[in-house]
Amino acid sequence: MSKTINFTIDGRPVSAAEGETILNVARREGIYIPTMCYLEKTNPAASCRLCVVECEGVEGMVLSCQTPPTEGLAVTSDNARLHEERTNIMRLYDVNHPLECGVCDKSGACDLQNKTMEFGVDAQHFTAKDQPRHNNHWGLINYDPSLCIMCEKCTHVCNEVIGDDAIELLFGGYKSTVVPKNSDTLDCTFCGECIAVCPVGALISSDFQYTANAWELTRIPSTCAHCSAGCALEYEVKTYGAGRPGEERIFRVTNNFEFTTLCGAGRFGFDYDVRASKDPAAFEAAVSALEKADAVRFPSIITNEEALMLQRLKETRGIRLYNEDARRYKVFMDAFRSVEPSEKVFATTDSLKESTGIIVVGSRIATDNPGVRYAMTTAARHHGSKIAYMHPMEDTLLQNVVTQFVKYEVGTEEGVLALLAKTLLEQAELTKKAQAFLDSLDEGYLSAESNVGEEELETLRRSLQRSKNNTLVLGSDLMGHPRAENIAKIAALIARYGDFKVLVAAREVNTVGAAAICDLDIDEGGSAVGYNAPGDFVIGADETADLVTPALNQQEGTVVSLNRHLLPLNAAVGFDGYELNDLANALGVGKTHTIDFTAELPEDAGFRGIAFDDLENFHSPLGEDRRGYRLALPKAKVTSQPDEVDELPEFNGTVVYRCDPVLQFNAFTARTSQLSDAAGALTGSEQFATAARIADGDRVTIVRAGGEYTREFKLDTTLKGTIALEPTFDGGFSAANAAYRFEKVKIMKASNDE
Amino acid sequence: MSKVYFSTWKSEQINNIGKPEDAWEESAYKLPMQYNEHREAKAFIGWDGVALYDEDVDVVRLATEYAAQYQVYSEACGRCAPGRWGGRILYDLLDKIARGEGSRSDMDHLKEVARNMQLTSKCEIGKTVPNPLLDLMTHFESDFLECIEKQKPSKHYHEEVGYVAKITAPCTDACPAHVDIPAYIEGVRDLRFDDSLIATRQTMPLAHTCGRVCPHPCEDECRRTNLDEPISIMELKRLGADYETDHGFGFFHPAEKKPDTGKKVAVIGAGPAGLTTAYYLALEGVHCDVYEELPVLGGEVTVGVPEYRMPWAKYEKDIEAVKDLGVNFITNTRVTAEMMRQFEKEYDAVMVATGTRISKKVRCENERPEIKGYWGAIDFLDKVNLYVKFGYTLSEAEKEEYMIDNDYVDLTGKTVVCVGGGFTSMDVVRCSVRAGAKKVIMLYRRDEKTIIRNTTYEEYHEAVEEGVEFIFHSAVQKMVDEDDVLKKLVVDRFELVPDPDGGRPQLKKIEGASFEIECDYLIPAVSQSADLDLLPEEWEIEMTSWATIKTNGRDYMTSRKGIFASGDCEYGPMTIVNAVGQAKRASSVISRYVQTGEISLTDEEIMEDQLRKMRVYDKNEKVTGWLPGLPRQRSEVVDVDIRKSSNVEVNFGLTQEQAISEAERCMRCYYIAMVAN
Repeated sequence: MSKTINFTIDGRPVSAAEGETILNVARREGIYIPTMCYLEKTNPAASCRLCVVECEGVEGMVLSCQTPPTEGLAVTSDNARLHEERTNIMRLYDVNHPLECGVCDKSGACDLQNKTMEFGVDAQHFTAKDQPRHNNHWGLINYDPSLCIMCEKCTHVCNEVIGDDAIELLFGGYKSTVVPKNSDTLDCTFCGECIAVCPVGALISSDFQYTANAWELTRIPSTCAHCSAGCALEYEVKTYGAGRPGEERIFRVTNNFEFTTLCGAGRFGFDYDVRASKDPAAFEAAVSALEKADAVRFPSIITNEEALMLQRLKETRGIRLYNEDARRYKVFMDAFRSVEPSEKVFATTDSLKESTGIIVVGSRIATDNPGVRYAMTTAARHHGSKIAYMHPMEDTLLQNVVTQFVKYEVGTEEGVLALLAKTLLEQAELTKKAQAFLDSLDEGYLSAESNVGEEELETLRRSLQRSKNNTLVLGSDLMGHPRAENIAKIAALIARYGDFKVLVAAREVNTVGAAAICDLDIDEGGSAVGYNAPGDFVIGADETADLVTPALNQQEGTVVSLNRHLLPLNAAVGFDGYELNDLANALGVGKTHTIDFTAELPEDAGFRGIAFDDLENFHSPLGEDRRGYRLALPKAKVTSQPDEVDELPEFNGTVVYRCDPVLQFNAFTARTSQLSDAAGALTGSEQFATAARIADGDRVTIVRAGGEYTREFKLDTTLKGTIALEPTFDGGFSAANAAYRFEKVKIMKASNDE
Repeated sequence: MSKVYFSTWKSEQINNIGKPEDAWEESAYKLPMQYNEHREAKAFIGWDGVALYDEDVDVVRLATEYAAQYQVYSEACGRCAPGRWGGRILYDLLDKIARGEGSRSDMDHLKEVARNMQLTSKCEIGKTVPNPLLDLMTHFESDFLECIEKQKPSKHYHEEVGYVAKITAPCTDACPAHVDIPAYIEGVRDLRFDDSLIATRQTMPLAHTCGRVCPHPCEDECRRTNLDEPISIMELKRLGADYETDHGFGFFHPAEKKPDTGKKVAVIGAGPAGLTTAYYLALEGVHCDVYEELPVLGGEVTVGVPEYRMPWAKYEKDIEAVKDLGVNFITNTRVTAEMMRQFEKEYDAVMVATGTRISKKVRCENERPEIKGYWGAIDFLDKVNLYVKFGYTLSEAEKEEYMIDNDYVDLTGKTVVCVGGGFTSMDVVRCSVRAGAKKVIMLYRRDEKTIIRNTTYEEYHEAVEEGVEFIFHSAVQKMVDEDDVLKKLVVDRFELVPDPDGGRPQLKKIEGASFEIECDYLIPAVSQSADLDLLPEEWEIEMTSWATIKTNGRDYMTSRKGIFASGDCEYGPMTIVNAVGQAKRASSVISRYVQTGEISLTDEEIMEDQLRKMRVYDKNEKVTGWLPGLPRQRSEVVDVDIRKSSNVEVNFGLTQEQAISEAERCMRCYYIAMVAN
């Protein structure tokens, strides 16, 4: 029942949709109204008051950022009176603002500077007693309160979009500052979004501070390569200067913060590029290794173009292709689509923001995929979403968005999905076969084994009674599960009959693309050439590789995000060595440039045959995502139904869960200068420590089926239960593992002299 | 009417300068005249003008101090650019003039900043603070100029002068608990629901409850009404409470609990007044034992207000917040006079908060309690709610007494007549519908408009939808029984006869219009009285003329030192929020009394009472700077066919989107009032 409201701005007839404010409409119509505190993706802070307008018949000035228009209203966006008051506000903003633009990092890209000039404030008319303030150093972030204009963008974004709620205002009138919430120092996930939205130089990256002026940096739009969310970012690049003439490096990463959001890995973990020169001997060795190879093993941290080269190698030379991550994703998706083939059931991170009923199963989603977390935070704050988080481990990062935590036993995901189906499809009209499947379920058994009780499911069902645009988020625990296919089928049943959209949280930057392009073989660990992966001969973006090739921030290409969105990558810094395309050429399947493959990406997998240079790569001024395109899903038909639920496994004894800490994803994030402060540690609760007889700081030996290794144990008091988190990011290429993420292991205290 | 020397309050122009005191023209308003418990004020300055009671007031200093108070306020806020810097500049410039260092250009800058604040500040406080300052600068320009030209301090600049200031808002003033409503609405607008709840809990611990069943007097004095419709204030309270509950956080208390004082207080009754007393005393480090006669906590809100209006699961959270502070509850214990004598010795103070739990009679012929089918509203609701919320069933004796076949209140096939017109009677008839009654009739002496005014529009219409038959202008004349079993009622009809003297219209019986209603139950819900057997006779505690405990309505101490009373047993049957407001004030008084043995009010509390007397809300006040015509958001209710036969909560509450746009309608009508001595 959306209603259109017709009104005028400066005499021009315009119309507003329900929920749009006067400012929204003005911006859409290209009418300029100045603001200092407005941020498109948060609720208006309404602190700067610059956006006041006049409305016919209304005495005084009306705040356009939070006022929806009324039918027939005549708005004036600018006149002498408004200009005078806006100028007065700018005069106030400038009172005692430090005159340090010469060294301020924000200079040249500063809202305060811009508006001061716009309103011609050239002198300070008023005096107010100045006050001493000191700088705050919060790790990756520095805060200078004397530069802060209290626009509140940072606190709003931290609470409403990120979900950390780690900073707040310390009210003090003229002395007001931003402070860490409930903590002496900043304790957060260090997404750095507060830096991004800060209109002045108050919040700044400590690494970037005093290194470059905004106008010297070249901005290269690209896509973050660390997870499957496909966040837009810009690498800001400049030469080192006289020390290394001509050589460029990335100085910082920024984002179009009005519409997009970045996590800390994207923002701070950017310098994972490698340096190499052309080494013909290594190149020959690589060619020969590939000629002899039975198989190539590669991760989903790869462009579509490179994946296509490998696929061509398979087609021409019969080389097998190993990528367990993409293969399992494909198996999962194929099984899902055999029950629910419709393209419409797939959610995106954007649709998730509008979803008021969300169930997450099988992922520690806040660290696995921060983009999904941020979408859920938006949904929770702005739409009051009911969010159920189902996992064997609670996650404190999600406490303020999750409305129900449902703990299940490790390994029982298939049973959990079956119980969910039973609960959510109670009222649904089902086919006979689907009904028969639900009727066949032994709820008593499933509940007992999974530990998900009837009452919890009833609470869940009730909490979703009024929700709209429901979404089921399926994590990588499910894809790695031995019963992945049936889990996918049961989830598909929920999607098909339960009015749920599904977001499959693929793990890596190009899991979706690699799965679409390559015909993958099961990797049983046999010999293979590794491309950014372990092998007998390793080619990859690592200085220790047998042939060093460029990292994803050094090449052009495309990837496909979990939203099935094809997104362009651009080279931020150069690379002088050989690329995979050079090898492909040597083996007869290459092209002049890697991106010549873009137009050839298989159309039957949903690609559109558009050349790389013809891809758009920006957000429109109104926030429309105009990057690349969304892949179509190949047509499919219903060919299957869920099988009977298998006996649920038991995981007794010591269990670890492969999960990287906040900001870490893989070998690339591990080696970036700002994020690589320590090697990963096995992290567990007090209960875990007691059971395993280990203490904080102990070196422990972890014995698993495939071998054993030693690392530090760290006690985390926010964790509960008997499962420890085991990171993989610090294990180089060999640590990637797409199998089920929970694993029974033995843990022993290592002797001290090891 | 107030005696003033000079006043610009609400644009009045009273200027008695130079006139003999007995010829002074009076102000038309009940201005705050008291400075504190012991002294009269010499001046009052506020959002809509300034009043001087004494010729000797130093107006330059008064202006400076008012700006300083704004500065203090803005240090608790500082959320908009004009307010943050403007407030600072106003004060700095005024003080510069007052200490004798000002220049004429400072006067110009003051006016410029003042206008900018008036036009662009975020809240009314920033918009209105300049008003009295400009008044003073206009009417007493010479005083300011004298300081500037002679470069000398204002006349009392270096003397000790006292100022008491209070931040208020029309809604806050109207709320008996004086909840900082703009702050909790701001929490919703900012999507900082924890802050919202903390703001509510500063003076109102029962956020879930008063987000549902408060008759919201604040909304009658919401300034937004002057523009279009009042803000949906009450329902916005739920967001903070739900946030706390939904995410399993601990409890967001408004302050850290103070260290144990070693003092202890007995609270009699675990209803809203008792809970509130205990909550705020506990925060002050005073131990509380709360004695409750019933097996369950919560008082009338638990056993009186039905599940479909106030789900127990939510009220329980409010009660848990009180428990969380270490308050000790003793249930199933009816306090006797003997115990009271003991309590007086054992405790440092006693709070009586026992409510009004005796249903009054309808006053008709043959109104004999022993007639089966005659069932007092309080007892009826007890039985319904104890079963619905806790599963307590009826005993065999009760089943016999109430003529119920089932072991809970099952009215299938029965006809119920309720006499009332207030919230309790609404609860009775709507519970009767849910208990399966064949027919439910409400008899009310007055008309539809009055019943809506006494309850709410929603309550009345929902009851009608559910099938309750309302018969207005009617009253029971006689109960007709057969062997002490109710058979029918004889009901008289009345008409309204206008009072020729212009008073309230009188009800006059229409002769020959009486009729009969066959029924199984007559449930009187006309009013309730207090059961105060617990007060030892020899204490001779003073009572009001309607048999409630008498206090002065400010500090809530009874005629016996150390014995306090609040809630319905003090006021008579009234609202939850009234009980909370009384108990909150009383707990503040008690927290000092247990330490000092003195009964005292803080300066702020005195000011609070004076402002309420004056009334902050002005329905004629013009609103500027806000666009009219943005409609109030209304929450959805459960479909009538579903709710008629179940106890699910009727009102879904506002959706988050609705709540946010409702919060954005709030104009933050904060004001500063200040008196000087």
